[in-house]
Amino acid sequence: MTKRIFKYICLVALAVFLACMLLIMGVLYEYFTGEAKAQLRAQTDLAAQGVARNGIGFFDGLDTTDYRITLVGADGNVIYDSAADAEEMKNHADREEIAAARETGSGESSRYSETLTRRSFYCAKLLPDGSVLRLSCTQSSVIALMLGMLQPILVIALIAALLSLFFASKLSKRIVQPLNELNLDEPLKNDCYDELTPLLRRIESQHRQILLQLELLRQKQDEFEAVTGSMNEGLLLLNDKGTVLSINAAAARILDADRGCVGQDALTLNRSVAMQELLEKVLGGEQAQAQLELSSGIYELDASPVMSDGRLRGAALLLFDVTDKADAEQMRREFTANVSHELKTPLHSISGCAELLLNGMVKPEDVKQFDLQIYSEAQRMIRLVDDILRLSRLDEGAIDMQRSCCDLFELSRSTLDALQSEAQAAGISLSLEGGSAVINGIPQLLDSIIFNLCDNAIKYNKPGGSVCIRVEDFPDHAVLTVSDTGIGIPAEHQTRVFERFYRVDKSHSKEIGGTGLGLSIVKHAARLHKAKIELESTPGHGSSFRISFSK
Amino acid sequence: MRNSFDEQLASLNRELISMGGLCENAIARAAEALTNGNTELAKTLPELSEAIDEKEREIEGLCMKLLLQQQPVARDLRTISSALKMVTDMERVGHQAADIAEIITMANISASDDTLHISDMARSTIKMVTESIDAFVKKDINIAIAVIKYDDVVDNYFDQVKKTLIELFSKPETDGEYALDLLMIAKYFERIGDHAVNIAEWVLFSITGSKSI
Repeated sequence: MTKRIFKYICLVALAVFLACMLLIMGVLYEYFTGEAKAQLRAQTDLAAQGVARNGIGFFDGLDTTDYRITLVGADGNVIYDSAADAEEMKNHADREEIAAARETGSGESSRYSETLTRRSFYCAKLLPDGSVLRLSCTQSSVIALMLGMLQPILVIALIAALLSLFFASKLSKRIVQPLNELNLDEPLKNDCYDELTPLLRRIESQHRQILLQLELLRQKQDEFEAVTGSMNEGLLLLNDKGTVLSINAAAARILDADRGCVGQDALTLNRSVAMQELLEKVLGGEQAQAQLELSSGIYELDASPVMSDGRLRGAALLLFDVTDKADAEQMRREFTANVSHELKTPLHSISGCAELLLNGMVKPEDVKQFDLQIYSEAQRMIRLVDDILRLSRLDEGAIDMQRSCCDLFELSRSTLDALQSEAQAAGISLSLEGGSAVINGIPQLLDSIIFNLCDNAIKYNKPGGSVCIRVEDFPDHAVLTVSDTGIGIPAEHQTRVFERFYRVDKSHSKEIGGTGLGLSIVKHAARLHKAKIELESTPGHGSSFRISFSK
Repeated sequence: MRNSFDEQLASLNRELISMGGLCENAIARAAEALTNGNTELAKTLPELSEAIDEKEREIEGLCMKLLLQQQPVARDLRTISSALKMVTDMERVGHQAADIAEIITMANISASDDTLHISDMARSTIKMVTESIDAFVKKDINIAIAVIKYDDVVDNYFDQVKKTLIELFSKPETDGEYALDLLMIAKYFERIGDHAVNIAEWVLFSITGSKSI
């Protein structure tokens, strides 16, 4: 800016300077020349009168430093010249001014001398005797004048340049300073050039527009985060390079990342082979699914590319927790396998015995034993199917069972009565403690809870051991505790004994009998009563199941 | 100019993480094959090892291109030169995992009756590899230092295995080949631990400019 201003100031200064020069050299020079000529004419008139009165004697003693005086005779020969020897001068009759004087009485002319640096003016007047008097003066030419003034001209030009530099820097600073000091945050509060007001107004309106849109964007972003933040599924948005653009709270929790991962590569979140393949696929523009096994569980990853105008813009990844589903799937598979196995074992036995009987390969005295075997295996199968049916009814929520007021103490007493003979056979003493506790429940289910717990307590007991049922009544809940002095359950099995067909000691299940579904039925029945089961057990010393029913 | 450089650096970073993921997968598979005696799983290792080799060549090419075309200085130079060194270590991890798998397939070794704590050793080694790559991904000096220090644990396991094997050899009924195979596997795990330390050291170097803690 300063440079341009300097350039213009300098140019203007030079132009003015040149114009002045032109004025002086052109107009004033002409004026002075005119003056000089007028004076020369007057002098010529005076001299002509002098010569006419005094003859040639007029020239004696005349000061001729300013003018050159020449007297030319009627024949054109020079009679007198104040600057040169008259004898040696050529005939002047053909000179312009003299010829004109002869014709009209007076004549003028001007001529440059050979060097062009000077100019001579001539003025001639015809005298009464026919001779011509001529006066001339010389004047420096314009160029000579200029050359003479070269030094001051240069000095003035230099001064003009310096001044324009000085003013240019000052001026440009003064012009630019208010612009630099503009407060663009509040454009209308500036006190600046009037010419800038439209611009400032425009800036102000755009400024407001930008703020408004920023606010809108922030609102949108907040809405988006509020919506995605409360999602249970993880949501991950990537750009076309695989960089994370947005991650919601659930995804951050699942992938164990913090918000700093935005702007990082998605592989920094999870670099498993499954993830790599998924990213490659989805960033190639294809839908992709994968399953991630993380420390927090198993997650299904569903990725879809985001396309617009036929170009890949990014990808959206959804993370679902499928841990429960995978577990359920696993349990279902195990259950099916177990059921088939448990049903197959007695069937094999029955079919084997029946085949032997059919082929007549059994001695008559052994037939009874085989019949017994078939009967007991069939009974076992019936029990098993009963249990499975009961469980599946429980799974459906026991819709057809009626709730009524039941006394846990009474139910326990009748169960113990039913098990008395079995306990005696195993050499185990049964006891019942506590008092009446009435709750609202399904009698059949409560009965099967108590029955299964006591049955287990007797089966997994040591000879001479004891089983004790304790019923306690509290204002807001009732507690049923079945404790035994049996073999106990090792700690690592305690969480799993409630699973279907789960056996702590698989190798001895046949001898003990039972279906492996007892505790599972207990768990489901308790769940239907919204009761809580607690298990305490020390291997070798016994177990204690504590079920608290809320009233 | 800088923009495309940044993009290339980002893609280098991505490739390194991806290679790290492959290495983790390789050693995890080898360890699982060992604990479950799963020879089928062990047979998939050579293929994975090849994929890792390919990745290494790819990353090396990328590094060379960056060095020649961009002539990086300071931090960028450190990042690229340590990447060049890191891929070598990662490639070794992949190879040694494949070697372990080979022993498992050949000798039918299973560590299910683990008196030698080889599965513990495998777990510790996996932890080291995972964390050394985590250190790279998160550019975290503390994780890198933890990995370098954790090497002692793996070394201790190796010493234990060695001592137990010496005792085993003194008994006449010992199957010598089986014992030697176990020693080899333990040694491979110990080497993988060392490579994890190397990776951690290069991570340290790329961040701080010094390889010592």
